[in-house]
Amino acid sequence: MIVPALIGSLPRPVSLAKKIEQYSIGRLSKEKLEEAYREHTRRAFVKLRNAGIKVITDGLYRWDDIFNPLIRFIDGIEVDGLFKFYENNFFYRAPVVRGELSLRENPIPEWINVALEIKEEVYPEATLKAVLPGPVTLAYHSINEAYESLNELAEAYANVLGELMKELPVKLVELQEPALAAELSRATREKKEDVSPEVAREIIEGLAKIRELWVVTYFGTPRVLPEGVIMNFDLIEGSVPENYSGRIGLGIVNARETKMERRDRLIDRLRPFLRKYGEVYVTPNTLLDFLPESVAWRKLRLLGKLGG
Amino acid sequence: MELPILPTSVIGSYPKPRWLLRMYNLYSLGRLPEEDFREAVKDASVAVLREHERTGIDIPWDGEMGRSEMTEYFTSKIGGFRFYGPVRVWGNAYFNKAAAVSKLEYREPLVLDEFRWVKENTTREIVKVPITGPYTIAEWSFNEYYSSKEELAFELAKILNREFRLLEEEGAKFIQIDEPAMLNHPDEVPIAVEAINRAVKGVNVKFGLHVCFSNYHLLADHFDELRVSQFALEFANRKFRDMDFLRKLTHQELGFGVIDVHNPRVESPEEVARAIRKVMNYVEPERLYINPDCGLKLLDRRIAYQKLVNMVRGVEIVRKELAREGKKSIPFRRSV
Repeated sequence: MIVPALIGSLPRPVSLAKKIEQYSIGRLSKEKLEEAYREHTRRAFVKLRNAGIKVITDGLYRWDDIFNPLIRFIDGIEVDGLFKFYENNFFYRAPVVRGELSLRENPIPEWINVALEIKEEVYPEATLKAVLPGPVTLAYHSINEAYESLNELAEAYANVLGELMKELPVKLVELQEPALAAELSRATREKKEDVSPEVAREIIEGLAKIRELWVVTYFGTPRVLPEGVIMNFDLIEGSVPENYSGRIGLGIVNARETKMERRDRLIDRLRPFLRKYGEVYVTPNTLLDFLPESVAWRKLRLLGKLGG
Repeated sequence: MELPILPTSVIGSYPKPRWLLRMYNLYSLGRLPEEDFREAVKDASVAVLREHERTGIDIPWDGEMGRSEMTEYFTSKIGGFRFYGPVRVWGNAYFNKAAAVSKLEYREPLVLDEFRWVKENTTREIVKVPITGPYTIAEWSFNEYYSSKEELAFELAKILNREFRLLEEEGAKFIQIDEPAMLNHPDEVPIAVEAINRAVKGVNVKFGLHVCFSNYHLLADHFDELRVSQFALEFANRKFRDMDFLRKLTHQELGFGVIDVHNPRVESPEEVARAIRKVMNYVEPERLYINPDCGLKLLDRRIAYQKLVNMVRGVEIVRKELAREGKKSIPFRRSV
């Protein structure tokens, strides 16, 4: 069985970006901005329903990148300059870790609540995942000035994420963990240290005890395969390791190129996985932020047609 | 030709006046005749050029008033591209990322008119003409036609070389190739280097290369191969950390970025001076130009102006110190 699913973000609509900008310069009230978020989320859920995407996210409309604003709600972190997110013309604000990490009061659970309410209204049969950055990816993309090692930093992030996950009103949490496949791109900066595979696996499996986890990897083939989670593999720039036998998501549609894939070729590509795994989730290979909105939706509609 | 020591310059873009943004909007809606739009761009160009000159910048530009965006402007002028819509770069900043859908064609000069207008209106002897480089245009486009990015980048290099030759004939002295994407894929850096070298081949002007928000260790290995005389790089954004790669810059000049273009806080002249003193531990002052990290276009115009003013003031502090050592000017070097 093929289940079409969304991972991570949808392209932020320009109309929403304009509202956020207006709010940031004091020309729009907080209430009006909130209305805009809800309205855009509603429209996205309707389009996801029409496209036949069965497992959805809130599109990360409230997030600037996969780390922000979460890192603004963690004590011990200062938010620093812009860095390239892997080999993309897409930039994130880097967390600079200056002290011990601890989670502050934050609106993320409430945002998910709002998304759930909208989903119940317009697309009740879909499953909504909450999306968070994974501890390994957070550790690699931080500038660490406080912890003895990257392993310790990753563990500290896992603790913070665990606390947050307990508050989330959903059963399924997606962890954005590209660093399991592509640790830190040299396009971002030089890597000085590693998170050991053992620690990476242990902390993710620890988080999987709090909520069911969907671990999304991209830009390569993951070298760490935690158990008891749904693993999402990037089939465009990576592959599924032979020894993997758990639940599986396949990033089969290229979210970094506008050229449209052919449905029949995608089906051919999926056949061996269907034989081996029975049920597969099909997804874009990475965040849809890298595509123009119109193309991203065209690709989602294509994914939807693979379902069944 | 002599320049004051630590010549100051800009990277390229500058906030467009609000009235010009309205003109862009009206023009895009078909509610403003082309002639009126062109006139508005030219007026804004002079206004910004004067603004740059008032700050005391030695080598100004017009803030790219006529360019919608740094790749979109070029991809809309080169035949063979089409647009599907904007793509987000960070926060709420977007650009219209084009797709190469057929063979690229040089249909018309890209920046020649801009250069003529700036040259006609500036009070300065030298201006810097910023142009987006071949690899970055290729990397920041979708490729639906060429068999590889390399092929696409080399085709663009050919097109840009044609433009550079025109600019040289017209009297341009300093062209800056903007290549913010050239270090995106560590394995492809040699392709970017080759594309840049093809683009500048046979053109006798000073070439600078601007790269920002990237891992400069990847660039440092290619300093000597690149046929440019200056590297204009971003340092304020990274808080002047990790500058050791500059040890590999043995003969070309450094355009030292001292102004954070994504932060509205205006740097003080003392901060700028401190940063310059720090970089002089790596590169001697005779090989230093001073500029902001990158284009200033995302800032509020008043803030962008004040940042340039303070940048020049900071430079003046260090110039006074250098004058005591008898270091007051440097030659304008087309090549090094």
